[in-house]
Amino acid sequence: MSPIRTPLFNHHKDSGAKIVDFAGWQMPIQYSSILSEHKAVRENVGIFDVSHMGQIFVKGPETVEFLSYVTTWDMRRQKDGDCRYCHILDGNGFIIDDTIVYTISKDNYMLIPNASRVEDIYDWLLKNSGDFEVSIEDLSGDYFCLALQGPEAPRLLGQHLNTTVSSFQLVTLDKTIVSGTGYTGEKGCEIIGPLDEVIGHWEALVDMGAIPIGLGARDTLRLEKGYLLSGQDFSGNQTTLETGYSWVIDWNHDFVGKGALVDLKNSKYSKLRGILIEDRGIIRPGNSVFYKGEKVSYLTSGSLSPTLRKGIGMAYLDLGIGESVSVEVRGNHLNGRVVQMPFL
Amino acid sequence: MSEIPDNLSYTKEHEWISLQDDGKVKVGITDHAQDALSDVVFVELPEIGSDFSKGDPMAVAESVKAASDIYAPISGKIVSINEKLEESPELINESPYDFGWMVVIEPDGNLEDLLDSGSYRELID
Repeated sequence: MSPIRTPLFNHHKDSGAKIVDFAGWQMPIQYSSILSEHKAVRENVGIFDVSHMGQIFVKGPETVEFLSYVTTWDMRRQKDGDCRYCHILDGNGFIIDDTIVYTISKDNYMLIPNASRVEDIYDWLLKNSGDFEVSIEDLSGDYFCLALQGPEAPRLLGQHLNTTVSSFQLVTLDKTIVSGTGYTGEKGCEIIGPLDEVIGHWEALVDMGAIPIGLGARDTLRLEKGYLLSGQDFSGNQTTLETGYSWVIDWNHDFVGKGALVDLKNSKYSKLRGILIEDRGIIRPGNSVFYKGEKVSYLTSGSLSPTLRKGIGMAYLDLGIGESVSVEVRGNHLNGRVVQMPFL
Repeated sequence: MSEIPDNLSYTKEHEWISLQDDGKVKVGITDHAQDALSDVVFVELPEIGSDFSKGDPMAVAESVKAASDIYAPISGKIVSINEKLEESPELINESPYDFGWMVVIEPDGNLEDLLDSGSYRELID
C-alpha cells in the first residue's frame, strides 16, 4: 500500500516538517523542534493535522442501544452534543481501541478511532450490529481533523469560527463539527469537517498565530498527561481495568467484554503505572523495568518530559505508588519510582 | 544549508575532527548531524582514559525521539570530555563546532580515511 497523505502534506513540507510514516500515513513528526512545539502548546496555542484519525458514523433508530453494547459506556446517558471517551473491547475484555464517541443526535453518532485501527473497528462494529437497526459508514477518507490546543486555543477558535465549545461538548456548524476534545490536556478543540475545506482552516489558524505541531510533541504532550497510546500502551492483550481507566466503564449496562472484566475485577491484576526517573537519562518504550534487582516489566511508553525535564514512562506493574524501581537503558540502571499519573 | 568549516576534517558518520597543536584531536558532531537529530536532550560520554578502536560506539546523543550512537573517528584514548554537555546538552545544537565539542582523543596512529569539507559537503548534499 502506498503511503497516504493529507491535503496539508505540501504545507507541512514547505514549513520544514520532517515527515515519517505513521500507520500508513506520511505525517509530520516535527516542524521546528519537539521541545519548542511542546512548549507552544503548554503556554500558547498549537495546531495539529490529525486527519489520519478515523471518522465512523453510526446512524439509525437503535444507534444508542448498539453503541452501548459495543463500548464500555452506556450511551443512554448521553445528551445531544455530548462527547464521551470510552473503550471498545473484544469478548475477552481486551481493548481493540479507545475512541471518543460523539452524540450529534440520538440517531446520529460519530466515532474517532485511531488511524491504525479504523478498518478493524469498522469490521468489528459491522460484525456486532446484526441484532440492531443501524447503518455504519466509514467516512475517514472524506473528513479532516485539526486539533487546536493550548491556553490561547479558545480565543483563536472564537476569532476563526465565531464559536465557543465546552469540554467534551460539540457544536455543529453546517458540515463541520467542533468538539472540546484533544490529546494534550490543554484547553482547546478538535475541528472535523469535509476534507476539501482543511487548507482554509489551517491557513487561517496559522495566520492567527497557531503554531504547527508534529506527532513528536503530540506524544510527549499526551504522555505527560498519562493518556494511552493505541498500539503501544494497549495492543490487543490489555483490559480497561489494567490500563487504570476503569472510569470509562459504566457497570450498569451490558456490553461486549463485560463478563471478562467482572471476573478480573475480583482478582489481582497488574496495572499501568507511571514511572518518574530521578537519574539523568532518557527512557524508551521497550526498556526493562526492575524492582529489587528483578526484571518485572517493560515500558510501554517512555520519553523525556519536556516540562519536567525528567524521564517519564508507563509500565504494567504489580507495584504500588511510591515504590522504587529502575529502568535499564543500554546496560545502565536509571533509578526512579512509581508515581500517580498524570505526571503533570 | 549546513555549516561545514573548511579547517576541520569529517567522517561519513557525521563527526568532525580538529587536529590540535599537541597532536590530540577534538571531536564533535556536525551541524548537519545536530539538525537531523534535532533537540539533543541527553549526552552519554565515555570515561576519561578509556580506549576505543576506530568505528567503536563511544558516546550517545539522544533527542526526544531517538538515541544515536557516536562512533570513534580514530583509534586512541579519551583524554578529555566536555562536561558542560551533562548540564547543557543543547550546546550540541547551538554550537556544534565550538561549545558543543564532545571528546578529545589522543590518537594511537595516523589520521586516515577522513574527509575534507568539500567531500563531506558532497556526501550530505
